[in-house]
Amino acid sequence: MVNLTIDDKQVTAPKDSTIYDAARINGIKIPILCHDKKLKPFGACRMCLVEVEQMKGRQIPACTTPVTEGMIIRTATPEIIKARELVLELLLLNHPLDCPVCDKAGDCDLQNLAYEYKVDTNRFSDLKFQHEIDYNNPLIERDMNRCVLCGKCVRICDEIVGYGALTFIDRGIETKIGCEFEKGLDCEFCGSCISVCPVGSLLARPFKHKARFWALTNHNSVCGYCGTGCNLTLGVKDNKVLTTIYNDEQGFHKGQLCARGRFGYQFISSDKRLTSPMIRRNGRMTEATWDEALDLVASRLKGGNEVAALATARLTNEEFSLFRKMMLESIGSKNFDHSAGYAHSALSKGFVRSFGVSASPASVLDIQKSDLLLVIKTDSYETHPVVGFEINMAVKNRGVKLNILSDKRGKLSKLPGAKTAIHTPGNEVAVLNAICKAILDKKLEDSSAATIPGFAEFSKSLELFTPEKVAAQSGIPAETIIKIATDYASAEKALIIFPIGLAYSGHTESLASAAANLAIITGKLGEEGSGVLCMSEKNNGQGAVDMGFYPQDGGMTAQQILDSCVDGKVKTLFIAGENPLVSYPDSKKVKSALDKVEFLVVSDLFMTETAELADVVLPACSYAEKEGTYTSLDRRVQYVKPAIRKLAQSKSDFEIISQLISKIDGKESGTPAEQFSEICSKTAGYEGMTYSTLGNNGAFATTAIKASLVVPEYTPVVADASKLALVTGSVLYHNGTLSQHGEGPVHVCPEAYLELSREDAARLLINEKDQITVTSESGSLQLIAKVSPRIPKGVVFLPYHFPAAPANKVWSGTAVTMVSIAK
Amino acid sequence: MNPITPIINGMKITLSHMFMKPVTLQYPTERPKVAPRYRGLQALKVSHSKAKCVACYLCPTVCPAKCITVEAGEDANHNKYASVYEIDILRCIFCGYCVEACPVDALKMTGEFELANYKRSDFIYAKETLLEK
Repeated sequence: MVNLTIDDKQVTAPKDSTIYDAARINGIKIPILCHDKKLKPFGACRMCLVEVEQMKGRQIPACTTPVTEGMIIRTATPEIIKARELVLELLLLNHPLDCPVCDKAGDCDLQNLAYEYKVDTNRFSDLKFQHEIDYNNPLIERDMNRCVLCGKCVRICDEIVGYGALTFIDRGIETKIGCEFEKGLDCEFCGSCISVCPVGSLLARPFKHKARFWALTNHNSVCGYCGTGCNLTLGVKDNKVLTTIYNDEQGFHKGQLCARGRFGYQFISSDKRLTSPMIRRNGRMTEATWDEALDLVASRLKGGNEVAALATARLTNEEFSLFRKMMLESIGSKNFDHSAGYAHSALSKGFVRSFGVSASPASVLDIQKSDLLLVIKTDSYETHPVVGFEINMAVKNRGVKLNILSDKRGKLSKLPGAKTAIHTPGNEVAVLNAICKAILDKKLEDSSAATIPGFAEFSKSLELFTPEKVAAQSGIPAETIIKIATDYASAEKALIIFPIGLAYSGHTESLASAAANLAIITGKLGEEGSGVLCMSEKNNGQGAVDMGFYPQDGGMTAQQILDSCVDGKVKTLFIAGENPLVSYPDSKKVKSALDKVEFLVVSDLFMTETAELADVVLPACSYAEKEGTYTSLDRRVQYVKPAIRKLAQSKSDFEIISQLISKIDGKESGTPAEQFSEICSKTAGYEGMTYSTLGNNGAFATTAIKASLVVPEYTPVVADASKLALVTGSVLYHNGTLSQHGEGPVHVCPEAYLELSREDAARLLINEKDQITVTSESGSLQLIAKVSPRIPKGVVFLPYHFPAAPANKVWSGTAVTMVSIAK
Repeated sequence: MNPITPIINGMKITLSHMFMKPVTLQYPTERPKVAPRYRGLQALKVSHSKAKCVACYLCPTVCPAKCITVEAGEDANHNKYASVYEIDILRCIFCGYCVEACPVDALKMTGEFELANYKRSDFIYAKETLLEK
């Protein structure tokens, strides 16, 4: 710590802080336009000028000057105020005074400073800028006439997002912020640039002219899309969620959001939401009262194991826990599952047998503290963009090494120093085993490795996975495998990251065990910066596993439930929030299961493809309307409270289930808070949590792990040289099928496509945007072609989110599907 | 005092009033002269055959009676305009803050004071009726 004097006040500050930071942490406000605490110091605006006595009273920028012992600083002498007024006058000389029509008014740093310093006249005169305004972009409106050239957008896009879409172009008075060759913005649309813009140069177009900032009520919440568990602030007016608001105090990510988090909120207050319960009468869906609908559902929730349930991993912990209780105690059925049965198996089976707990022995915070990241699939960026930002920052700012094992290249491959080893699809486990083999061969394992249970069988099983053998199979040269092995083993701290999800049917318990084995034999576990991070796809995927909402003691898995619907063993199916017809593999099987089951109940926000087949549809409500907790992928339990009143007649799944329980066996279920205390009393790691202790930041549910080595199952993919290997996955702008109801994500990525390599495209004479037909054993699908250099030859990539062209028509749940393509 | 005197005095006053200008206004055949700064019904000023209002939301923000509803829209030239501008005249207290707050001088208070109506819904003045004639 350094001692210094700011405005006659004795203060201390960390050694590496700037004068600006020192003043801020000691509660002294220095005006500034070009600074954001997440970004490196820049010193563009000259608003933060201060006087340092040791520097002979010169005016120096506080944001770029480091503190030194005994500094005497004055932040508001008459000279400094005069200088700041001059800066503002010069900024306002070119800045258009169109506050009445500018959406930033009320939240504008320049407006606030002009008001604070009473700059209402100008001694100078000049013309205003006449830059063309970009109205064409659906999400980000750029008006460079209002720009004050603070460079925050340029820096956040480069330093954190790692995209570099914006830059300073032209020089001198002509300088402006723009894209390469003054083209339109075609980026990841995360909107980080909007969040940091101090003026109205960059604005969120979906929110344009919707409301003034001062008319909005801010509600802290937790994002309802992926498992990262980002905190966000919802801007609410007239019981409608109109926007998300940037708050750099929120969460581990300091307010940083991705495209769907920032722009995908529209589903909450959508006009298409279900407004009342519906019952199928004489083949037609008709509106009904809650009593009618719930009486009918309760009367069919009988018969023990003849009732089955599928839930989405977006319910709260309280809902999962109550739902499970209803299934087990009120109905007496063990048949309930979520996420298609396989998307949680890495946690519920893989980690349980490898670590003894169904949770990752690492957190997102470890990424920046690690020395080496081993990422499995570049898709980790697309599935969890904010985790991707953490990886960007770790690699760019902290020099963390990045090794990637993937079946295609991606955004992460472009990071400085990133090494991407491309393997043929479906060979992740073999490659990880080969890495373990190389480590054992070179005696790089941890000294305690041999004492870990299962070591003998495991090392014996590796005989089949010599780097040479796996090289032939996976296409990664043996030297590369050995290099990755030595890099991983020699790094002091190393973290393995992999995503799971409905589209990643290959990422199951065997991949989890293979990754766990690697961490266990090298001892990269149990300390900061090391471990294995399994990233669940949806916002409460980890919570669903923690609450035990998956088949245990002989219950049926999701796939078995669907099979049993076909053969009549399951007579009533309750689907809460899931849309299996679009998102589960093998649409034919799902369709016949939903058609054949005697009674189908769906609770959802929207009339989904699955809900259209239901006998009763119950309108549920979104995360912004209910109270509960979500558990993020690194087991941070976070509390959400309602930001708006429930839309129309919708009820939370908690209310629906508790009313069903009272109708079935007359028991009362209490409030979510009571349910949560019940959860905390019996769930490992949740002990002692209450809604009030969780507060705004949540709390980690940590449990001790007990490592053991497990031989992962591995079935080699049967390649077919005449066909292409189709891999399914998520795209950056979507998450599950929910983002289809968010206008923002749909603007950027409206329809399904098939991404294929340049070589294959040239061979098959396919051009970008051609209409093509993909055919597999399961069926065929019409898609738009997207030719991309990131895809290796012989591989095609198909995103799974789109109901109009569902991937499950050609994909039956295997990690790799062999397909042929025709124009 | 002579009991007749007060009557005579009273009649004098009555008589003098017979030759004075009458105070009572024969409304509605006679119209009052409204003072120039009278605060009657608001009107949206028009310029270039369009309302000057840019939907900056300052009037609904400043309005103490919360009687103004504005919704902004974007026209073909990407200019901001008020797609909805409504004043609930039953709530309005005619304080004139809306006019004072307007940064583009798009609003004024007219001498219009005959605001009676038959239905509550008719007291919500929409943009078309508020445009200055």
